[in-house]
Amino acid sequence: MRVSSPKVNLIIFIDGDNMQKETLLTIDVSHGTTHDGPGMRTTVFVKGCPLHCLWCQNPESIGIKNEVWWSQPDCIGCESCMKACPNSAIFGDERGIHVDRTKCAVCGTCADTCPSSAMSRQGEEYTMDKLMREVLKDRLYYKQFGGGVTCSGGEPLLQYEFVSEFFMNLQAEGISTALDTCGCAPQKNLEAILPYTNYILYDMKIFDSDKHKEFTGAENKLILENLLYAAEYVRRADHPMEIWIRTPLIPGATAYEENIAGIGEFIRDNILDVVTRWEMCAFNGVCTAKYDKLDMKWAYDGQGAMAKSEIEPLKQTALKYVSEEKLLVTGMVREDA
Amino acid sequence: MSNVQLPFIPKFEQSERIKVLEARNQELGTNGQRQYDTYGDHRCWLNIGPFPKMDELPSRVQGYRMDNEQWGADYAFMLDNTEEAIYPCETIVGEIHWEVKCIRPMNFKSAPNSDEIEELRERSKKLGGHPNAYGHTCPDVNIVLTQGYDKILERIRKSLAKYTELKNERRANYLRGLEHICCACIRFIERYAKLADRLANEATDESEKARFRKIADCCANIAHKAPATFYEAVQTLQFAILFDRSVGHGNGYGRMDLYMYPFYKKDKDEGKLTREEAREYIAEMYMKLRGQFFSFGGRLEDGSDATNEMSWVALEAYDLVGDYNNLGVMWHSDIDKDYYDYACDVLARHGESIPVLVNWDLMYAAQLRSGIPESEAWKVVYSGCQWFCIPGQEWCGHDTSYLNLITIMERALARGAKYEQYRGNNGEPIDFETFYGFYVEELHRTMRAFQDVEAAIDRVRGYTQPEMYTSMISHGPIERGLDMTAPRGVDIQYTSLNIAGIVNVADSFIALKNLVFDKKLYTFREVVNACNNDWEGNEIMRQKFLNQPKYGNGISEVDDMYVRLCDTLQEVAEGYVNQRGGQPMRPSLYSFMSHLESKDDVGATPDGRHKGEVFAQGINPQAGMSKKGLIPFANSASAADMRKFQGGSIQVDIQPKFFDGKEDRYSYIRNFSTAFFQGGGMQINMHIMDLKKLEDAMDHPEKPEYRNLVVRVTGYCARFITMSREYQENFVSRMNHSSMN
Repeated sequence: MRVSSPKVNLIIFIDGDNMQKETLLTIDVSHGTTHDGPGMRTTVFVKGCPLHCLWCQNPESIGIKNEVWWSQPDCIGCESCMKACPNSAIFGDERGIHVDRTKCAVCGTCADTCPSSAMSRQGEEYTMDKLMREVLKDRLYYKQFGGGVTCSGGEPLLQYEFVSEFFMNLQAEGISTALDTCGCAPQKNLEAILPYTNYILYDMKIFDSDKHKEFTGAENKLILENLLYAAEYVRRADHPMEIWIRTPLIPGATAYEENIAGIGEFIRDNILDVVTRWEMCAFNGVCTAKYDKLDMKWAYDGQGAMAKSEIEPLKQTALKYVSEEKLLVTGMVREDA
Repeated sequence: MSNVQLPFIPKFEQSERIKVLEARNQELGTNGQRQYDTYGDHRCWLNIGPFPKMDELPSRVQGYRMDNEQWGADYAFMLDNTEEAIYPCETIVGEIHWEVKCIRPMNFKSAPNSDEIEELRERSKKLGGHPNAYGHTCPDVNIVLTQGYDKILERIRKSLAKYTELKNERRANYLRGLEHICCACIRFIERYAKLADRLANEATDESEKARFRKIADCCANIAHKAPATFYEAVQTLQFAILFDRSVGHGNGYGRMDLYMYPFYKKDKDEGKLTREEAREYIAEMYMKLRGQFFSFGGRLEDGSDATNEMSWVALEAYDLVGDYNNLGVMWHSDIDKDYYDYACDVLARHGESIPVLVNWDLMYAAQLRSGIPESEAWKVVYSGCQWFCIPGQEWCGHDTSYLNLITIMERALARGAKYEQYRGNNGEPIDFETFYGFYVEELHRTMRAFQDVEAAIDRVRGYTQPEMYTSMISHGPIERGLDMTAPRGVDIQYTSLNIAGIVNVADSFIALKNLVFDKKLYTFREVVNACNNDWEGNEIMRQKFLNQPKYGNGISEVDDMYVRLCDTLQEVAEGYVNQRGGQPMRPSLYSFMSHLESKDDVGATPDGRHKGEVFAQGINPQAGMSKKGLIPFANSASAADMRKFQGGSIQVDIQPKFFDGKEDRYSYIRNFSTAFFQGGGMQINMHIMDLKKLEDAMDHPEKPEYRNLVVRVTGYCARFITMSREYQENFVSRMNHSSMN
C-alpha cells in the first residue's frame, strides 16, 4: 500500500508550463463555500500540486492524472468495474474494492462502466465557457453575501494561463476573485494572475526551510520570495487587493510556538501593511476516507482534533506579532477534558 | 460575546399571565384535543366529543335538503349550542368544538347529478386528475372590522327583500341562510358578554373583576358594532376566525398589519395602548386560534413598502410565545430592511419555519398575469401553504385538488413502448420528441377529464358545500345572493390545482434522454418493462438510471428539462376552463400531501425510483438527490418562471451545525432569501433543527422537551410528536443540509 509521504513526490512540473491548456483540470467546483475568502463563494478546486504535504486534506488534488477512486457506500457489489478494466487492475477483498495503482492506466473505463457512480474519476476538465457558466449561476448570492469566486487546489499557479484569463473574465463581470495558493511556482505564474485578483489567500505552513522540505517536499525560499513579490504588488495595485495568510495547525509539523513565532515575525517585519488577516486553521481528520478511496494510508490516520489548550498558546504567540482583529482561528477544536 | 449590533430586540420576556395561557395551550396541543387525523395538532377547534344535539338539528328534524337556508340553520344551531367559556388569565376569549362537516354531510350524494359526478370523478382520478377543492381562500376580515354585524345583517336583509320581491327564490333562500348565520354570530358574542358580566359581578378580586368587565363591555359592543379600540378589534378578529373555521376548511386571514394598523395607531396616539399590550393581545389570539395564516409586509397600492409598526407587533407576538403558528413575511425589493432582518432573526432563533418567507413581487406579478387589474392585484396576500389570493374576492379552490404527473408519464411510457413494438416507426426506435408529444397528449387527456368533473361539481358546489360565513365577509355574495363557491359569487374564480411528481418526471425524462435516446444503452421498451416489474432483476440498470443527473443540483440540462415540463403543464392547463365564468385552470408547483398519498397509485419510474417510494415533494428534489448543497438547489428551484403558477415553495431543512458557530444567523437567512427572491424564487420554508433530536423524538415522544417541537409538515405546522410515523419519517428523510456546501 502506498503511504502518503513528501519523499515520493517528485516535483516534475514545478513551473506548470507543461499544464497550459484550453481547459482547466479540476477536482471539484463547490458552491456556497464560506471558508475560502469573504462572503459566500464558489470554490474551484484545481488538480495538480507541486507540494505534497504530509497532512494534505485533498490527496486527490495532488496528481495531474484523472485517478479513479472507489466509494464504499455507493457500491452495489456488481463487479462490473473488475470485468471492465482492460489492465485487470481492480480486485476485491474483505475490505472492499481496490485499484492496483501500478497497473492502473488511468483510462476511466471502470468509472464509465460503474452503474452506481461508486467508481469515479477524480478530475474534470472545464472549458472557459463551461466554467464561467457554472460559476455565474450564483452571482446573486455573491452580491448578497459579499462573496465571489475562489480558485483553490491543488495549486492554481500551475495552470496559470487559464486561471489568469478566468479571473480576468470574472472581474469583467464584476465578480470578486480570490487566489488560494501555496506560492510554490515561478514568479511569472503569479505575475500573470495578480492583476485580476482581489484576495490572495497565501499559505505559510512552516517557517524553517528544512522542516518545510521534510513535511511538504520542497523548501520555502521560493514561496517566501513570491510572498514578498505579491505584497509589493498589492502595495502598488490600482484595484482593491488584500492578502490573507493561512497557516494550517498540524500537530508535530506546524503547530509549535517556534514556527508560529517565525511566521509571525516575518509577517510583522515585511508585509503587515498589506496582510488583513492571518488565519490559523486547526487540523481535522475528516479526510481519512479520501485516502481510503485512493488506496492510500494517511500519515495522520487516527489523529484527533486539537484541544483548546493546545491552540491557546499558539494564538498568544501569534498575537505578539499581529493584532487581534487580524488573527482568526478556524477549524475543529476539541474542548479540554 | 456577540459584537453584532442588532437593530431589534432579540427576544421578549413572557409575563406571568402569558405563561399561564401558554401552559394551557401546550396542554391542548398534546392531549389530542387539537389532533387532526394523522396530520398532527392541526385544528382550530377543540375536540370534546360529538355534537350532543344531533336529533334536534334542523336538517334532521326537517329532513336533509341541499339548500343554503338549511345549511345556515344547521350552522346557527351548532353555534347556538356551543357553550361559552372564559379561562383564567384570558382577555381574548372564545373557542369552538365542531365544524359543519361534523353535523352535516358535505358531499354530493344528494345532488341531482351525483351519479354523473361520481362517474366523472372516478374517470378523472384514474387518469391522475384528483378533483374537488374546498376552502383555502381568504375572506376580507376588514368587512367585519369596519362594518360590524348589525350593518352586515342590514345588508343581508336589504338584499333578501330585493330578491324576495323579484321572486328569485334561489337567491332569497341563500340570503335567509346568511341571516340565520349572522344572527347566530351576534347571539354567540352576546352570550360571552353575558357570561363575562356575571363573572364580573361574582368576582371578589378587583383585578379579576376588571378583567371580566373589560371582556363584557367589549363583547357587548362588538356583537353589534364595529370595534372601537385595538383590543376590541383583536377580539372581533378572534370571533370572526372562529366563525369562519366553523365552516370547516383552512383559510388565510389576510394582511393583518394593514387592517389592524388604524386601530393600533389610534389607541397608541391617544395613549390608550402600549406596544407591549398590543403584543400580548395578538399573542393571546395566536394561542387561542392555533396557527392561522396571517401575512405582513408587501407593498401598498402606490408600490411603496407596506410595513408599519403593526407588522412588527404581529411578529413580536409570535416571538413572545413561539409555538405552532403560520405567519408569512412578504418580501419585496424595497421592504424595510430592519423589519426583514427581524423576520429572519425570528426564523433563525425559533428555527420552526415561522415566518414563511415569500416573494410579494412575484405573487403580484402572477395576479396581474392572470388578468386581475392593478387596483385589486396589489391587495394580494400569502394565505396558506404555497398559495395567495385577493382577500374576499377570490375563490379558486386552492390547494386540495391535484394532478399526479407520474400517472400521466406512465401512460406516455406505455404508448412509447407500443409505438416501438407495433408501429415500428419504419424500423426506427422512438425518438425523444415523439415521446414528449405522447406526454403532452396524455396531459391533455387528464385535463379534459378533470375539467369535466370540475364542471359537474361547479354546478352544485354552492349548495352542497357552501362556505357561507366566509362568503358573508367577502365582496359579492350578500349583494348577489350567491355563495362564493358558486359561479360568480365572487369575481376571481380560477381553478387552482397542485401537482405531484413533477421532479420525478423531470429526472425520469433526463435519464431516458441520456441513456436511451442519446447513448442508446437500453431500448425504450427495456426500460418500460423494467419499470413495470419494479426493476426486478435489473438492479444494474436501475443504478444507471438512478445515477443520472438529478433535479436540485443546479445542473443546466436537468433544470432546462424541468422548466420545459413546467411550461408545458402551465400552457396545457390554462387551455381548460371551469364553469365559474369560464375562468382557466391555474397550476401550482406544490404538493400538499399528494406526494405521499399517490405513491402507490403508480409503479417504478425511470428516475430509478422503486414502486411505493414517496415522490419528491412539490419542487423539492427527490429525497437524497440534492448533493451539491443549498445554493445549487435554490438555483434549480428558481429556474421556472414562477409568475405562471399559483405558488411553489422550497423546504430548506438545515441543521444547527450548518451555521458553524456563526452568531448572526439572521444575516445568512436574509442574504440567502434575498438572492433567491431576486433570482425568481417564490417561497422559502426554513427549519433549523437538529436531526438527532427529531430521531430521538420519534422514539421518545414522552420526553418533556419534545412536547413543543414544532415543524412545518408541508404547508402547515404541527407538533412533531403528534404526527403519524410515516410523516415523521418523510420529514426526517428530507433534512439534508448540514453544511454550507
